[in-house]
Amino acid sequence: MTVQELLLMRHEWALIAGVLILLVLELNFSEEQKSKSIISAVVIFTIITLLGFLPAESGSTFGGMYVTDPVRLLMKNILNLGVLIIFLQAGSWLQTKNNYNRVTEFYLLMLSSVIGANFMISAGHFLMFYLGLELLTIPITAAASYDQYKSKSAEAGIKLILSSAFSSAILLFGLSMLYGSTGEMYFSEVRFSNDLIQVLGFVFFFSGLGFKISIVPFHLWTADVYEGSPTNVTSYLSVVSKGAAIFVLVLLLINLFEPLRLVWQQVIYGTAIFTMTIGNLFAIRQQNLKRFLAFSSIAQAGFILLGVIGGSALGMATVIYFVLVYVFSNLAAFGVVIAIEQYAGKVNMADYNGLYKTNPRLSLVMMLALFSLAGIPPLAGFFGKFFLFTAVAASGFYILLFIAVLNAVISLYYYLLVVKAMFISKSESPVPYFQSDYPTRIALSACVIGIIVIGFYSPVFEYIKQLCLISF
Amino acid sequence: MGTSAIIFYTIAAIMIVFSLLAVTARKILRAAVYLLFALGGTAAIYFMMNYFFLAAVQLIVYAGGIVVLIIFSILLTSHIEEKMQKPDTWKIILTSILGFGGTALCLFVITNHLFVAHPATGAEATMATIGEKLLGYGEGGYVLPFEVISILLLAAMIGAIVVAKRNKPKGNG
Repeated sequence: MTVQELLLMRHEWALIAGVLILLVLELNFSEEQKSKSIISAVVIFTIITLLGFLPAESGSTFGGMYVTDPVRLLMKNILNLGVLIIFLQAGSWLQTKNNYNRVTEFYLLMLSSVIGANFMISAGHFLMFYLGLELLTIPITAAASYDQYKSKSAEAGIKLILSSAFSSAILLFGLSMLYGSTGEMYFSEVRFSNDLIQVLGFVFFFSGLGFKISIVPFHLWTADVYEGSPTNVTSYLSVVSKGAAIFVLVLLLINLFEPLRLVWQQVIYGTAIFTMTIGNLFAIRQQNLKRFLAFSSIAQAGFILLGVIGGSALGMATVIYFVLVYVFSNLAAFGVVIAIEQYAGKVNMADYNGLYKTNPRLSLVMMLALFSLAGIPPLAGFFGKFFLFTAVAASGFYILLFIAVLNAVISLYYYLLVVKAMFISKSESPVPYFQSDYPTRIALSACVIGIIVIGFYSPVFEYIKQLCLISF
Repeated sequence: MGTSAIIFYTIAAIMIVFSLLAVTARKILRAAVYLLFALGGTAAIYFMMNYFFLAAVQLIVYAGGIVVLIIFSILLTSHIEEKMQKPDTWKIILTSILGFGGTALCLFVITNHLFVAHPATGAEATMATIGEKLLGYGEGGYVLPFEVISILLLAAMIGAIVVAKRNKPKGNG
């Protein structure tokens, strides 16, 4: 073991160092100085994010347990960007009276969860994959029950941990079948031979991972947990936790489960149709914006599966690109919801009536975010969906493509419902004009820049495609 | 049928019966005690396979630690005498169809699969080999997962503290 081998794990080292530094800093701040710990956490995480963009070597270490290559680094960097935006948005919520004695803990939990996501993406062994998955989820269950004075928040925490324990059990049962039939746990040495037991093991494995991505029929926890959790945790769950699970799914399907391709294409074919349709149909009926965004994120997960089904390097590139766009669009939408919730304590769609009159800039950000999620040109979301549809067409799944386009139209309807509320509907008492704090404004501006620039600046997609083609 | 087969089937029968009792018992304390026997049965299976270390861990951690923890938390939080409500009939029917169907499917698949014995199995797991594996960083070494578990424990501890912390702001009582 050389230093160079250890340096392959740079992302993880930086995050672990961040956790330890924050733990020590926390001891030195009194309860009145919580803004200091917020600033230090944001500064530390900015450094971690920037460190991640430095050029790095690829390779594997710890006897193949840990694998890294440019695509995996890119995935980690995308997740880091999302977490940075979430950290910026969380400041105003953490400074409220109810959180007076729990500020740094939020950052510690988030950072540990990101460590889990990174280890999961870099896993070269089923054990590392499973540990990463648990490390991704367990800290977030504590964060979901952060608002203890609300019973809904406690309920969200309990629901999340019970259902994730159940899904982990199913996943482990699947893994034990795969291990029992192949005798190997290292990804590089597992050889699948299309035995029935391996098919069943894969289905269990997929359902465990599908739970994290909230694919239908493993989505039942999503709406309740998203609604009950503090909105900052909800945005983490819907962007970072989901994004990490999608990245791992596409990596494993293309590399590890390649011999089972015919099986997983059928599995994804069915679940993609159900996920898009059910997510969309339920989203139409929601009045609470957090539940609305929960079902919207289920539908988006269905769209992402379209890129996975091709199982090619191109499909992988479209998935990474879509998640990158999704990070910015969804975090912009959540950022507006958080800002308004912090100021006025309102999260229902009716509360957004007439928002444009009083808060034009927030309404514009929300509109851009929703248009990007719906896929309206020239915003980045359009290209994300467009590339996904191209990838499906390239693999010849035309019926699936037809259903996906239908669903894209349905989704346009409910995203426009919110836009209509903000711009057209009149309200007796709209949310009055207010200014959010600087970090929130920086985060929202970053999201808007991301939504617009990624859409117009085509080298982004070319770069991702190049990386994927080289690596796979 | 050899002696070891008889012992195995006896242990397996005990485990199945107590597992079923643990999930169907109406009183929560009884369920916890039934769970103890199911976990003990697992330890017995490990002993049969000569995995002494794993068996000891199973006895100490699960049967010793976790079950005691569960019983303590039951005693501290709920009323022992309270009986769990009977679920609706249609729920029982649906879940039993799903449960038995799933079991039948898994059993069918597992019994029809021809398992190939892996050459590494059967080697005696001594403390020395376990230690070498646990701290090895090469092929077949487990030091990285071991360290990741320690991060997981740290995160879980922070999470537990967050959940248990006093939640009323100062001044409001």
